[in-house]
Amino acid sequence: MTAASPPIVDLRSGPGYWWHSYRLMVRWELTALRVVLPVAAMVQILAGAGFVLSLGLFFGQVPPRAALFVSTGVLVITLVTIGLVLGPQLIAQQKAEQTYEFLWSLPVPRTTAALAWVTTNLILGLPGMAVALVVALLRYDLDLHVSPAVLPAVLLTLFTGTMIGYAVAHALGNPLLIAAITQLLIFVIIGFSPINFPADQLPGWLAAVHRWLPLAPMADTVRAALTEGVVTNVIRSYLVLGAWAAASVGVTALVLGRRR
Amino acid sequence: MDGHDWSLRVRDLVKVFNQKVRANDGITLTVEPGEVYGLLGPNGAGKSTLVKQVIGLLRPDAGTIALGPHNLVADPDAARQLCSYLPQAQMPIASFRTREAIDITGRIRGGEPGPVSRRRDELIEALDIAEWREVMGARLSGGVRRLVGFAMVTVCPGPLVVLDEPTNDVDPLRRRLLWQEVRRLGDAGVAVLLVTHNVMEAEKAVDRLAVIDRGRLVAEGTPSSLKAADRGRLRLQVMLVPRAETPGMPSFVQRHTRVGHNLMTVIAEEEAAHAIGWAQELIGLGIAEEYALGATTLEDVYIRLTGDVAGTGRESPA
Repeated sequence: MTAASPPIVDLRSGPGYWWHSYRLMVRWELTALRVVLPVAAMVQILAGAGFVLSLGLFFGQVPPRAALFVSTGVLVITLVTIGLVLGPQLIAQQKAEQTYEFLWSLPVPRTTAALAWVTTNLILGLPGMAVALVVALLRYDLDLHVSPAVLPAVLLTLFTGTMIGYAVAHALGNPLLIAAITQLLIFVIIGFSPINFPADQLPGWLAAVHRWLPLAPMADTVRAALTEGVVTNVIRSYLVLGAWAAASVGVTALVLGRRR
Repeated sequence: MDGHDWSLRVRDLVKVFNQKVRANDGITLTVEPGEVYGLLGPNGAGKSTLVKQVIGLLRPDAGTIALGPHNLVADPDAARQLCSYLPQAQMPIASFRTREAIDITGRIRGGEPGPVSRRRDELIEALDIAEWREVMGARLSGGVRRLVGFAMVTVCPGPLVVLDEPTNDVDPLRRRLLWQEVRRLGDAGVAVLLVTHNVMEAEKAVDRLAVIDRGRLVAEGTPSSLKAADRGRLRLQVMLVPRAETPGMPSFVQRHTRVGHNLMTVIAEEEAAHAIGWAQELIGLGIAEEYALGATTLEDVYIRLTGDVAGTGRESPA
């Protein structure tokens, strides 16, 4: 029997250390989710396709503008539900099972853990988004104009949704409270947000509130990148969304950097 | 290792929760490289609080923690890189195969692929868990999962390894294998901080130990030096009949503790004959069922210091 390895005493730092840690944390997340990953991806695909098709089942003849709104809105829903709903629930589960502390004792830069989670969300969310888009094209013969802005719009939307969920889950101590808030979120996202329909369909006060919440700007930026003449003032949407992204990163950094 | 003092140096550590609970109340201790240092104490004594400050998860209210040239209080990132931590709770490896779980933590801790795989295979062999090598964590028993956790944190150890109740749920045979590996860590120059309330195991496994009670360090030394105060004394253990009242103590009983039906007393060696006579009398009266006389153990010292009986919770000391 050989002796144990001598301890590593040199501290690591710099970009090489960061990249090494990031790759391993992505591997950790994907392995930790390997059982639910195929199911979660399938749910995203079915939910996205289901949303698009159910509109047609309901109305028979769907007005082109409505089809365009719903088809582009669904993409946003498939992008953010994992980060906003599944993510916090996983962290709540870690807190309930008391595995949270082991994960946060791992010797990796905190930013790599956060970005590995965003990357995992991207891997989970993109297939659903792509399928929803293809189904919508086949079913409604949409008048899409895809611009290169689709890349920043999709990434910023996914990043912001994921980081908001991440910040909420880390900031709240109680796993049950986290679960309750995410349940509420899904309700608000699907029922009361101008994602699948124009904001002017909402009561004035609610539309005004949504101008400052992240959900409508998410829908606007993604929709603006896929259509022409539907969205006005997309710059404002990017700014509001950017502010939410920055705020959620700030809250996460504060919570994770704070030792009680 | 590199000219620095790689001992863990904790000085006057104070941690107060909610401005009133003094979970750590001025703790000072040193763990040398190569030393297995036990931290004993009843539930709520402040052991885990101490450990979480060392590994950078909690911030002390006062005091210092140093390892090598690093101030771990000021630099929690260094604490995470230098300390390998096995928490008391189970590891989050439900969908990791044993092999994968050990590999990935070794790589995260900065190990190169080749040495990590070699050391992984050695540990799997040494802990006798080869039959679960390709099994996912969700299908492992609690004890095997514990051993996998141990291999995860020690496959590529830092200069300090912190083990919180490493043998929980592990079967007796593999416990011995695990203690051998803990010893090997020490031999490789690692400082091992071992948290436990299993006094009997700690006695065999540690070089030195500290007893913590109510946030304070109430005793420190080698197991034999701690037992020195009890030299010349014996332990008389009497199993009382269920629901029997605790009998009055004869004058030669120096101290006693009752846990359930188990009455543990400490007596002077010269009083052995009297003690046996008393115990037989209790059996004759139908108060007791059996008794055992033996050398005092670290457990008796521990009971004297904390009033706690081997992790069963605090009892009122006699």
